[in-house]
Amino acid sequence: MRDVYVAGIGITTFTRLEYPLVEIASYASMMALRDAGVTEVDQVYVANMGSPRVNHQTALASAVVDSLSLMPAGAAAIENGPASGAAAIKAGFQAVASGMDDVVLVAGAERMREVNNLEATDFVATLTHPLAEYIYGVTLPAHAAMFTRLYMERYGVTERHLAMVSVKNQNAALANEWAHLQQPITIEGILDSPEAMTNNPYVAEPLRFFDACPVSDGGAALVLVSEEKARELGRPLVRISGIGQATDTHAVFERDEPTDLLAVRKAANDAFAMAGITPQDVDVAELHDAFTILEIVESEEVGFFPRGEGHLALEKGETALGGTIPINVGGGLKGRGHPVGATGVAQAWEIVTQLRGDGGTRQVEGARVGFTCNFGGFGNNVVCCTFVRES
Amino acid sequence: MSVDLEKILRPVDTPMKPYEPKYMMLASGEAAVVRQVDRDEIPDLLRHVEPLLHVERDYYDVVAARVYSELLAHYRHRYQDQYVLAVQIDGELAAIVNGRQVTPDLGMSLHTLALRRGLRVGAHAFAAKMEYHIDTLGHDEVLIVAESPIGFRRWMIEYRLEKRFDTPHELGGVPSWALTRELFDAARATLVVGRRPVPADLLDKAMDAILPPSDPPTPPLDPLAATRSMYDPTGTSLMAQRWEMEGRSADA
Amino acid sequence: MDRNIYAYVCRRCGASHYPFRMVCKECKQNDFFEFDTVPLPRTGSLVTWTRVHNLPAQYEVATLGIGIVELENGMRMLGQLEIDEPEIGMAVVGEVDVVRREPYDSYYGMVFRAA
Repeated sequence: MRDVYVAGIGITTFTRLEYPLVEIASYASMMALRDAGVTEVDQVYVANMGSPRVNHQTALASAVVDSLSLMPAGAAAIENGPASGAAAIKAGFQAVASGMDDVVLVAGAERMREVNNLEATDFVATLTHPLAEYIYGVTLPAHAAMFTRLYMERYGVTERHLAMVSVKNQNAALANEWAHLQQPITIEGILDSPEAMTNNPYVAEPLRFFDACPVSDGGAALVLVSEEKARELGRPLVRISGIGQATDTHAVFERDEPTDLLAVRKAANDAFAMAGITPQDVDVAELHDAFTILEIVESEEVGFFPRGEGHLALEKGETALGGTIPINVGGGLKGRGHPVGATGVAQAWEIVTQLRGDGGTRQVEGARVGFTCNFGGFGNNVVCCTFVRES
Repeated sequence: MSVDLEKILRPVDTPMKPYEPKYMMLASGEAAVVRQVDRDEIPDLLRHVEPLLHVERDYYDVVAARVYSELLAHYRHRYQDQYVLAVQIDGELAAIVNGRQVTPDLGMSLHTLALRRGLRVGAHAFAAKMEYHIDTLGHDEVLIVAESPIGFRRWMIEYRLEKRFDTPHELGGVPSWALTRELFDAARATLVVGRRPVPADLLDKAMDAILPPSDPPTPPLDPLAATRSMYDPTGTSLMAQRWEMEGRSADA
Repeated sequence: MDRNIYAYVCRRCGASHYPFRMVCKECKQNDFFEFDTVPLPRTGSLVTWTRVHNLPAQYEVATLGIGIVELENGMRMLGQLEIDEPEIGMAVVGEVDVVRREPYDSYYGMVFRAA
């Protein structure tokens, strides 16, 4: 298997974007291609979850290739729910690692704000089990809420811990010019003041408004290349050192232990094993905090902290910038926004930015090893990646 | 003998008890002041409503156009028994709500216009308006309609409004919904907040001047982009029109 | 009409499945449709629950109770709750009723109430 490097990265502002989806994907791709200094690619993968349903457009990758005039490159769209982004990275990795392709463009894009919030909620809910979950009106916040309730009961996580994640990530986004939320929040404003419960109402009990990521439009892109090509292009050498992917039962209630996220555990283990490192070697991580509880649980399941101690590490500031393992320093999904198909690619964008030392005021000093966890479904399809900066 | 036409045209406003100002802490930790706006201050509001006429999203254009006309008519004495409340953060305008008294027992909610988003300022402003109708003016119920899906979800469903579909609302003649005193009392605990009295420094700052909103909603960068993607996926015909608008030729 | 929701019992190893799947999760038996259908029990205890405030567009109610129930045979399922003050571990009893209405269709599922 050949080594695979990230030679170029690109992103759009995450917000409400009133541009066609193809332009969003193409804009991020153009940035990545320009960053890498390439104009021709062998293969294009476009990660997207909702274009047929939300934007009434199919065969997105063909449209993106055309828009970027990359013909006759191969192209395919990859739909894997909220883990579409990292699944596309995996496909791109396999294409280069196998020796089939030398230069692969991996883009992720989503335009969810084309429909109103209620329809967007329903669109995301369609990833649940159609007969055993979806028909009941289950939403992703509902799944996260039921999970949170059990987790609170079992491990002593409180609404305060959730609010701490919320404040940490939303305020971290202020250092990321591409992030959706540019509005600082305080613990007092969302938890302690007499008005807090009205400022921060329930979305699905016990989860509140500020526990959930915003609905965003946006795109992100990477250019993956072989080692030979990477050295020729002369960009900072960031290698994808490991990828792990795992699945779990579609219906959440079928899992033996309802507070386990076995797919996260296995995907992370596999990625670390492939890279030949341990969780403790990671300098900076992007976890999939679509809901605040997920950052806490994933920080345990991927092995940064023992089971049931993620919230304690959070209390001590270990997951903040300057802590032992800074998590979501660019705002995470909570602050950066969550255009579902783009998120996995955007996580990699942040990690590569960090490993290149381009993080500006949110730079993790001396970051050399990075980690991403892209969480699809409600934990039934998870892709984890490790990245390493080579000198 | 001259006829004083103005005497005929100008409605005589019923005296209405003023709204007692209140303040609340927002999610950002900032304090927001809700207070009644005098007729003299209306022009200060209009300057900040006008740009929103061009924001073609979330019904900002429709709401801003109607608010503009209601406030202007109020200022020029062509709207009977209207009141206007404003939410200010550090003096900056964050939201405008207005409504009117139909009879001593019945209120008519007009509009809620949020100029600061992501902090539920609009929700606080709407709650203050209902508080004014029910608690201060003593109305038995308030007739309400929504123009946007956000409004519908927030008012009709959060407050569990009752249908008054036989009564057309003054806004567009559409069927009305009603907030009754009972519904308001039920919502009080979760939806209505605010502390009184407002500390002097906060109130002085708010009364001193209505400052421009720091981050108001803005029109899309590309005015045709939204339309283009919805109705013309190829974009070519509208793109050509846009180029023409900008003085470029399509084949340049 | 008495409506049921069914568990699918593998004819080779006897493992019960809900919801339906094509291949047995336990013995990986992949003969076509070699499952017997058995009605799921109606009684059980509440594993976890939520009250959803932000519902998809189709729902015109303010909130909707949803929970996961461990049925008396040890299987679990998700259902709607018509319970004012749900608590983890409480005994519940289910009934098959309409859980979602679309313009031309009604979907039936389990609705749980306090036992």
